[in-house]
Amino acid sequence: MNLYPRMALQNIKKNYRFFVPRILTQAGLLGCYYIVYTLYKDERLRSVYGGQYLPFFMAIGIGVTVLLAVILMLYTNSFLMKQRTRELGLYNVLGLEKRHVGKILFFESAISSVTGIILGTIFGMLFYKLSTLFICKLLNVDSILGFYYLKSKTIISTILFFVAIDVFTYTINLINLARMKPVELMASAHTGEKEPKVKWILLIIGTITLAAGYYLALATKNPIRALPIFFLAVILVMIGTYFLFVTGTIFVLKRLKSNNNYYYNKKHMTAVSGLLYRMKQNAVGLASICILSTGVLVAVSTTVSLYTGMEDMLSSKYQQELYVRALYQDVNENYVNIPSDVVIKSVEKSAAENDVKIEKIINQRFLDIVYKYENGKFTYEYTPGNFSGLADILFLTQDAYKENCGEELNLKKGQVAFCSINVGDAKLFNEKTLKLGDQEFDIVKTLNFFPISMDTISFMTCFGVVVPDEETINNIYEIQKAAYGEHADEFTERVAVKYADRHLASDKGNAITKTISSELHKYIYAQSDFEEGKIIYIRADSLWETSDTFYGMYGTFLFLGILLGLVFLFATTLIIYYKQISEGYEDRKRFQIMEKIGMSQVEVKGSIRNQILLVFFLPLLVAGIHICFAFPLLTRLLNLLLLPKVSLFVLCTCITFFIFATVYIVIYSITAKTYYKIVH
Amino acid sequence: MTILDVKDLKKTYTGRFGGNQVQALKGVTFSVEEGEYVAIMGESGSGKTTLLNILAALDKATAGSVMLDQKNLAEIKDKELASFRRENLGFVFQEFNLLDTFTLKDNILLPLVLSGKSVAEMNERLEPIAQSLGIADILNKYPYEVSGGQKQRAAAARALITNPKLILADEPTGALDSQSSSDLLRVFEKMNQAGQTILMVTHSTDAASHANRVLFIRDGVVFHQIYRGESSNEELYQKISDTLTMLRKGEAK
Repeated sequence: MNLYPRMALQNIKKNYRFFVPRILTQAGLLGCYYIVYTLYKDERLRSVYGGQYLPFFMAIGIGVTVLLAVILMLYTNSFLMKQRTRELGLYNVLGLEKRHVGKILFFESAISSVTGIILGTIFGMLFYKLSTLFICKLLNVDSILGFYYLKSKTIISTILFFVAIDVFTYTINLINLARMKPVELMASAHTGEKEPKVKWILLIIGTITLAAGYYLALATKNPIRALPIFFLAVILVMIGTYFLFVTGTIFVLKRLKSNNNYYYNKKHMTAVSGLLYRMKQNAVGLASICILSTGVLVAVSTTVSLYTGMEDMLSSKYQQELYVRALYQDVNENYVNIPSDVVIKSVEKSAAENDVKIEKIINQRFLDIVYKYENGKFTYEYTPGNFSGLADILFLTQDAYKENCGEELNLKKGQVAFCSINVGDAKLFNEKTLKLGDQEFDIVKTLNFFPISMDTISFMTCFGVVVPDEETINNIYEIQKAAYGEHADEFTERVAVKYADRHLASDKGNAITKTISSELHKYIYAQSDFEEGKIIYIRADSLWETSDTFYGMYGTFLFLGILLGLVFLFATTLIIYYKQISEGYEDRKRFQIMEKIGMSQVEVKGSIRNQILLVFFLPLLVAGIHICFAFPLLTRLLNLLLLPKVSLFVLCTCITFFIFATVYIVIYSITAKTYYKIVH
Repeated sequence: MTILDVKDLKKTYTGRFGGNQVQALKGVTFSVEEGEYVAIMGESGSGKTTLLNILAALDKATAGSVMLDQKNLAEIKDKELASFRRENLGFVFQEFNLLDTFTLKDNILLPLVLSGKSVAEMNERLEPIAQSLGIADILNKYPYEVSGGQKQRAAAARALITNPKLILADEPTGALDSQSSSDLLRVFEKMNQAGQTILMVTHSTDAASHANRVLFIRDGVVFHQIYRGESSNEELYQKISDTLTMLRKGEAK
């Protein structure tokens, strides 16, 4: 074998502690990239119900993986080269010219890169099949057999991308090599470092940005504005985290050090001074771990709770499986509801055509009004675009109530029955009287169940009220019409259909809605007061269609969340590992000295443990704090994405945090072993 | 009073697979009285580092005994070993072994901190030592900011601060230039005159010539010793180099 490849191979063996993670990083990232990229390209998945969201979400996935791949590969490379500068300097001193060293580096990169790419490709292809099965499960569709998808194009472009990264890092190494002065390199390891200084400007900026980020997260009440504010808060908190890790930790440690009685103590002295230096070198890495961890936690907990909350949301909205609303504008521009018997006829026809049994058809007529809800009082003060402090009330007459659920309420004039449908963050309504503007009603009954759900899926606080008669409901209608003018709500008239089989197959369901829609169109075109160009509103809102959309969207979203969670976790592991071994080499000498001047092994080990524990669990702790502060804002965002239940989100977040912390501890204890091995 | 009593000390190193036995010490016997300043000389490979490691309780002897202040080192439990060393022995190393994350002051105070002394007591002890070693005004500097001689004086201060029964110095002048070396040796003399017992391992004739007594080790045994008696440093220097020449000739035989 030629000299250079042989030397390269020997170097890889000798420095296996650095090269093995590098190869694994490349393999892992390549595998993930391959999976995301192929999912993006796989046209067979798009044709699955809900699969149309895949390209969009996978494009996000590709973006994040590309970014992480470039950053992590550069990080591992720079780490590898830093640890080996002395070795490379030695080559120079021993008489190898820089071009020879360059050749050795080339073979090193080539060998580790080829190994990584081969491993990664195998890993990617194996797990692609698993991913597709998982996605089908999440999308709630039967998995398609023969799901192997091998396209030389995707494989080649994946490999080319990673080769390009390697060529780039190799070029950087060559440039660094050209700049190297061997004598300086050999000497550099001996010079001491200055004690870090507190950078006051960074400390102040960091504190302000973090506080601002937290404040935004806590103070934003309006869910519509939550999304842009969320991103702003994320950026602020990221800046704050970096700055405070870099300088805040040093500030605290310096304060501790200046307290003589605290500092000159067996337990504190070595830890505090050791940490001061550790923080100086590791602050950026630790801040990155912290932010990545927060990312994992947010991505996984939100997507999991959205996905698990979906069934709840569907069942609360769809008490029946199908709602048909149909109206049109006549020649005088008045809205005309299509008579319910016409609608019912179309529903029955579609059921017969598709061989589906109907259990019950109900005519629903109700009023849905938006109020400003404050101090237990509802007022007519809503302006479009402003969403804070609002509540929705659904009004139903007691006759309609009886028709829907068969129960007689026997309400008298001035009495109502009240139901809290979706309270969310708003205060529970516990009053004895219902105040609507200037009107007052006695609440004589509190209902646990309301037979009507809103026509649209909404995150708004929502109540239901049953009034005694038509006169009362019309009266309320007139009052709100006077108050809101052109924004006033009309009565909602719809036909609700309950089928014998709640979960219809998607194609059957779609055929049903299609028939209904075309029947109703036919009816409208036949009317004498309708003319071309006027508005037609026909909505057949079905459980099956919404559930397909939701499973498609949230299923892909969840998949992306889990995938990114894994990639982030991977990045976190890598950074922790490299931190541990680089620290190990640096601390080795320090602890040898301490043992020589009379520190026992137990004391040395204890001091090491305290420092490492703090260093590695600080990011996890801070990530936990970030999550706590992000919680209210995330809840509002999830409300916007139609997850009303806070308790579910709390549970998902706690479970995610618990699992993540466990994985973190496992990673930590494995890498800590390597650390102890190096130190002793 | 005898501070250190070494009797028939043997140390055998065994190769990794049981074979290849090397006898580093073949039976070393000597004692050090309180207030003595003893130098141990020997070529590389003579066994002096092994001897020092055993005296410092960093290594265990195969046979024989070491009594420090009437206490047998071999009988001290592992748990108590670190604190025993801290309280009874002071160390000065060739490579200084100062922690670069500590100021000189913190380096010097570290043994006291480990023994759990109060801040007031630490400062009380630090002051006179720093004054006499001439490092009082650089106490707040870091090791990398001061010269080699200053570092070694700080290391000496660290060894002294616990009032140890015995100071063990391993080639203390090995990494110093000649001016710093003679400064340090004067410091050692001053320490000794103040009553401190010192045992120094060296192969520098100059360094050894400051001691009261010089032991020569060769091939794992004490081969010879010279007492200063009434001679000056220069006369002792001459005696030592004569002995070394004789040792080398003996080797050639």
